Amino acid sequence: MAVATNTRNGRTIWYYIALWSVALLFFAPVFWILLTGFKETADILARPPKFIFKPSLDNFQRVLAEAETIPYAINSVWLALGSVIVAVAVSFPAAYAFSRWKFPFTDFLMFLLLSTRFIPAAAAVIPVFQMFNAFGLRGRFGMFILYTSFSIPFSIWILKGFIDGVSERFDETAIVSGASRMHVMMKVVLPQVKPGLIAAFIFNLIFAWNEYIFNFVLGNADTQNIPYALSVNLLAAGGNVDWGFVAAMSSMYVVLPMLMIFFFQRHLLVGMTFGTVRGDV
Amino acid sequence: MTAPAATQGAGRSKVMGWVLLSPVLAFFLVLNVIPTFWLIGLGFYKYSLGRGDPKWLGLDNFTDIVNSPEMWGAFGRTLRFMLVAVGFEVALGVALGFLFWGSVKMPGRRLALTLLFTPMVMAPVASGLFWKLIYEPTFGVINAIIQGLGGTKIDFLTNIDWALPAVLFVDIWMWTPFMIMMTLAALGSVPAAELEAAEVDRLSFWNKVRHVILPHGKFILMLGILLRTIDAFKTTDLIWLMTGGGPGNKTELIGVALYRQAFNSLDLGRASAASFILLIIAIAFTSIYLYVLNLSRNR
Repeated sequence: MAVATNTRNGRTIWYYIALWSVALLFFAPVFWILLTGFKETADILARPPKFIFKPSLDNFQRVLAEAETIPYAINSVWLALGSVIVAVAVSFPAAYAFSRWKFPFTDFLMFLLLSTRFIPAAAAVIPVFQMFNAFGLRGRFGMFILYTSFSIPFSIWILKGFIDGVSERFDETAIVSGASRMHVMMKVVLPQVKPGLIAAFIFNLIFAWNEYIFNFVLGNADTQNIPYALSVNLLAAGGNVDWGFVAAMSSMYVVLPMLMIFFFQRHLLVGMTFGTVRGDV
Repeated sequence: MTAPAATQGAGRSKVMGWVLLSPVLAFFLVLNVIPTFWLIGLGFYKYSLGRGDPKWLGLDNFTDIVNSPEMWGAFGRTLRFMLVAVGFEVALGVALGFLFWGSVKMPGRRLALTLLFTPMVMAPVASGLFWKLIYEPTFGVINAIIQGLGGTKIDFLTNIDWALPAVLFVDIWMWTPFMIMMTLAALGSVPAAELEAAEVDRLSFWNKVRHVILPHGKFILMLGILLRTIDAFKTTDLIWLMTGGGPGNKTELIGVALYRQAFNSLDLGRASAASFILLIIAIAFTSIYLYVLNLSRNR
């Protein structure tokens, strides 16, 4: 705003060109992956690398024809989407409670929740591995609650920010006129924090969608996802990675999160303000 | 949701609060608190996967790690990696965030931002794999460019001098967009009226940042930096796939070292003890960070 509106047209155009260049520069490696997906093996291994080639859908067809691909993809979808939905659903009432009840230990507990992010996955997975083996939790249910627990802390952080921004007057007025707490929470507060819900959902979805280490160590055929499949493809091939296959699979896999940030971009940006948006994002 | 409805008035409010918290507390207890104690417990045993029952060791694992040059080496590398990566990501991200701030009317802005944010939504497994191809000495695109410009080819990921910068570059590529996003959000939390007032008063750019933008946007920016710092400290999968920690131990960060210890050497006891020490360091570090910035009060 500050830069664009007060300047003449010519400068604005250069400014836009600069911004687009930055965006395209960051996207370039992803574009290269996409191109690789459309290449035949001979073109992938050409030296020097080819920018112009005869595009082929061969790799994409091979990915889809592979018997394992669809089950892996289904696991990715239900694990990521399902766990994040449950996480946001349990985080909202908790965030509401943290915001309105003002327990004396709120700050401490919020910090403790965030502290679950501190342990490197490679370390955190060890006791979970032990525990899941001991209680027979290695399966769909165990993986699902584990993924859900990953998404809870940040959801609470975002949502509490938004709920703090909703004046308590709303609650009081509604309760004085005879509404129940549940009614206040679900019908008065919830609609006002929609950007927060969406931001929490998308932010956590990105991590759940791409999660690899827990899935690799704890997973079985019921839960293994596409990142697992990608890594196995690498490991199984030894030195000779099937780049075309991996490129096609990676390209298809990034479509969902890209669509999410395209369609919910405003919500995501507003959401990251933790409910304090007062200007342009 | 989970809570029974129809609690009114102040009398039962407290119970209601606990009821609303209970699902989250249950998750936290089962999947965070219990595993953490399990982790501490395992640290006291000699326990290797598939090699018989755990054997009580007392504090041996812990003293071993404190005296282990490899672990301190990995720790030092991790700190350096973290400082450089987060430093670049914050500097670049904030600068580019400011640059994109003024572009609300840009044609195709939504698409441009989507492309810009793509590196951080791409699976690290996929990115790690593909940067390997991009860095490849014989058919990788970077070496083709270097040779096209008359240079000699570099095998980035196995070269002692280049492996760490090469891995850092990928991390910076991946996560700068995150700091751009947080900067845009921080700038979005500044009231438009105050910015207009600053415009009228002809405040210089730095004064505007200091007196108008930071008071509102500081919390979001600092949270962004905190999240990046924690995640950079834990970086594992990206490096594991690109270099496996090599060449030698040049890119062996603490996450990679733990991964190797737990799943290649299968020494779960020692890995657990190391993780616990790490957890203490991380919590201490973050507490200081939060205390210094007084995050919760400067909203």
